[in-house]
Amino acid sequence: MTCRTEVRIRYNPAMKKSASPRKSPKKNTRKGKSARRPWFWRLFLRVFFIGVVLLAGWMVYLDAVVTSRFEGRRFEVPSRVYARPLELYDGASVSSGALQRELELSGYRAGDGSQAGTYRRNGGHFIISTRGFLFTDGLEPRRRLSLNIYSDQVQDFRVLSGDPSPIVRLEPAQIGGIYPAHKEDRVLVQLADVPELFTDTLLAVEDRNFHDHVGIAPLSIGRAMLANIQAGQIVQGGSTLTQQLVKNFFLTRDQTLLRKGNEALMSLLLELHYEKNDILETYVNEVYVGQAGTRAIHGFGLASQFYFGESIRDLEADQIALLVGLVKGPSYYNPRRHPERALSRRNLVIDVMAETDLISEQDAARARAQPLGVTNQASYSENRYPAYIDLVRRHLARDYKQEDLQSEGLRIFTTLNPAIQYAAEFAVKDMLGRMEGSSDTTLESAMVVTSRDSGEVLALVGGRDPKYAGFNRAVDASRPIGSLVKPFVYLTALQNPDRYTLITPVEDKGFSLVFDDGRRWEPENYDKEQRGEVPLHKALSHSYNLPTVRVGLDVGIDAVKSTLQGFGVPGGISEYPSMLLGSVSMTPVTVAQIYQGLATSGFNTPLRTIRQVTDAQGEALSRYSLKVDQVADPAAVHLVQYVMQETMQEGTGRSAYRTVPRELSLAGKTGTTDDGRDSWFAGFSGDLLAVTWVGRDDNGPTSLTGATGALPVWSRFMSQVPQHGFSPVVPDGVEYLWVNPGEVALTEEHCDNARLVPFITGSEPDVEVSCGGNIERRIRGWFEGLFQ
Amino acid sequence: MTSNTFKYAGLLALSLTVAGCASGPGGGSIYVPAGGQSSPDEAPQPPQTGEPRDEPRVERKSEQPDQPVRQTERTAPSYQDEGDALSPAARSLIQRADSLMASGETQAAVAQLERAQRIAPRSAQVYFKLSQAYVALDQLGSAEQFTLKGLSLAGSDASLQRAGWLLLADIRRARGNVAGADQAEARASAL
Repeated sequence: MTCRTEVRIRYNPAMKKSASPRKSPKKNTRKGKSARRPWFWRLFLRVFFIGVVLLAGWMVYLDAVVTSRFEGRRFEVPSRVYARPLELYDGASVSSGALQRELELSGYRAGDGSQAGTYRRNGGHFIISTRGFLFTDGLEPRRRLSLNIYSDQVQDFRVLSGDPSPIVRLEPAQIGGIYPAHKEDRVLVQLADVPELFTDTLLAVEDRNFHDHVGIAPLSIGRAMLANIQAGQIVQGGSTLTQQLVKNFFLTRDQTLLRKGNEALMSLLLELHYEKNDILETYVNEVYVGQAGTRAIHGFGLASQFYFGESIRDLEADQIALLVGLVKGPSYYNPRRHPERALSRRNLVIDVMAETDLISEQDAARARAQPLGVTNQASYSENRYPAYIDLVRRHLARDYKQEDLQSEGLRIFTTLNPAIQYAAEFAVKDMLGRMEGSSDTTLESAMVVTSRDSGEVLALVGGRDPKYAGFNRAVDASRPIGSLVKPFVYLTALQNPDRYTLITPVEDKGFSLVFDDGRRWEPENYDKEQRGEVPLHKALSHSYNLPTVRVGLDVGIDAVKSTLQGFGVPGGISEYPSMLLGSVSMTPVTVAQIYQGLATSGFNTPLRTIRQVTDAQGEALSRYSLKVDQVADPAAVHLVQYVMQETMQEGTGRSAYRTVPRELSLAGKTGTTDDGRDSWFAGFSGDLLAVTWVGRDDNGPTSLTGATGALPVWSRFMSQVPQHGFSPVVPDGVEYLWVNPGEVALTEEHCDNARLVPFITGSEPDVEVSCGGNIERRIRGWFEGLFQ
Repeated sequence: MTSNTFKYAGLLALSLTVAGCASGPGGGSIYVPAGGQSSPDEAPQPPQTGEPRDEPRVERKSEQPDQPVRQTERTAPSYQDEGDALSPAARSLIQRADSLMASGETQAAVAQLERAQRIAPRSAQVYFKLSQAYVALDQLGSAEQFTLKGLSLAGSDASLQRAGWLLLADIRRARGNVAGADQAEARASAL
């Protein structure tokens, strides 16, 4: 007030200059009246002015908010992780059940088999209509396929319609995602990809004047306000699409007046800066349309996959109507939970489509007659293979930043085989339950399954509860491997064919090693027995400790260590002799890596979980190609493979054939550590390599051995999976000869104790024994001439 | 270093080998459905197949095909003298790879060959083809390794062995490993 008085006083001198003294009081009086009126006006103007300034400032602020969010990256799009696509061709290994599960995982529906995304099954006969998929190496177009499954193999494969091909890939199933912290999931689409009928329907239902208004529609707001006043609370939105976008994009969900004001201002600003289509496209990608656990489903691009397993491009009128109808209340109209509500809402939208002439009355009738047709949620559920995805993330971390994985919408094509994963999870769960039985020990387990010749990780089990995303034993539990190390000890020896063959007698006798510091080490066999001399192959197939340590010390710990490193053991390896009995610790994944070389005749094949990573548009960012690297003589590895088959037939692994068909001619090795703390089994068939560990998380003792803990799990797994038997190709420089192993001599095939054993050429025995036991020395040159 | 330095002897031999193999039915490895019963008799014959069905080879004990089957057959370690032949599906992928290679899309060809490798992992030809693709990509180290892998599956098939050794000789020469190349060539001519 002081300030205003002064203003008046300062005015007076100026007035005085032109006023007569006589009139001045009158004038002064008049002045007093008129001065009071401007005072209110000025006050009002000033308040108004300040308000305008504040508002302008606020608008500038809002404008910055609106534009900065719109100019930058509008959405953080999670990366999608896919299983390997199933290849269908004559001879493909797949059971009818596995094919059906695979189809359902990829979002196929049982149906007539002629609409894309449906299949028809009649026993072993399938008709499948694929949706097509754009792989980086080319498009798999839509096709209609016919095939039979006999004895777990695809036969009579035919392409009924579409581009003919003897081999076709199904669309890969999405098995997980790498989500941003806010857990919003979406698939970005461009307006050009959205069918016109979709946007027209959306506008007809949500905002008919979208193309004409400036962001807000006062008439609608007025109508809404009236309704709200009548109801005494906010019951109606009357929002334009732009306002809805602003609300979701920038603001909280509270229904306050201030928020309403902001919403209106920001809508105006958004319309001022951006094209209608830009706003519409952002809306299409932003809108909230459902929930899957903690994951929020946003945007119609993801919605069409989430509900129908379809690309938005391929939606039918009834599907469009359902998705548009969902905007009003994704949870209330959730078609999976409340199908009746969803159906009536959808049909209401179809009515609108017909009323606004978007579709004919005939089409509307046809659309109303359609069932909801939503897929099972399986196709887009939460990460269902947490252990596997964990390994994928670790592999990705070598080349990608976490924030890019969470926001750039990358597509990650993994090697996971859902059928194999299913079998592995089942085997672990089933067998551990049986093993524990009445005992109160809690057993845990881990399993790794790879493709024998490509090193692709097909399945990974990190514990008994495959859905638990905690401790991943397959990757993080580093445990002593016990006798799993023995094949590498003997491989090192057999690479010196002049000193060791499969029938070389090795000593199974106790001894003690005295170290420099006075400590003693006295290894013993598991059964505490000593057998004198045994042929090398038997020492390995029966997993005797004493001969192994002797052979290992003979060839040298350094040599064994270097063999192990060549096969892929990372980091340091203990040089204590106890390493020859597997005191060295490894994770199941590392064991799978080193056994890969044994399974593939000496070729180290790096394990891979990822084939390819592409950007959101499908452009390849990185490829992880098959690599092979010869790290051992194939001939020596062949001999070890022979003994690993013998292990399954006569040695420590023989109980496997109680459940596994003998035709698989499996190769494997048991491993047990002190007091049964770790029970291991590693082995392979023609197609698969699998490593199983069973033990306790607290590293406590169990009553298990490799043969009674890990092997039953392994066998249970192998018996469920159709596959090729193991029958290695005899490499160059290896010959199979009939021998009498006890006599270290060649013998005749028909003799009782004759055994057909592979030798590296030149290392075969130079004596021959008859069936009766008469030994005679052969003339070497003659012998070689006969067999070469 | 370009692939021009190659004499293409290996590649030529290889293409002949792969083409030559294209007529036979696939399969050397025995297929076992879940739970066993690998016998092909269980499955009814499909009426529309013209070609004879691939039958699992049960007899693979000995190098001599005429040798009588022994009682111990089912319990002795298994082996085979040759890798698997290519299935029609694998062959079609290799043909796709060939045309991609011809149009210079070598990386795409590798992708098709890796598909072929996954469905025919015990077939030497697939690895030789991969080797050929890596030669075109001028990644001779990988090419050499794939050739070695192919050779490990060539078994007693002399034409595959010869193709592999000649290919290996070419690659080793291109890498400057003259001694290794001579050795590989000697192996090829000894066949």
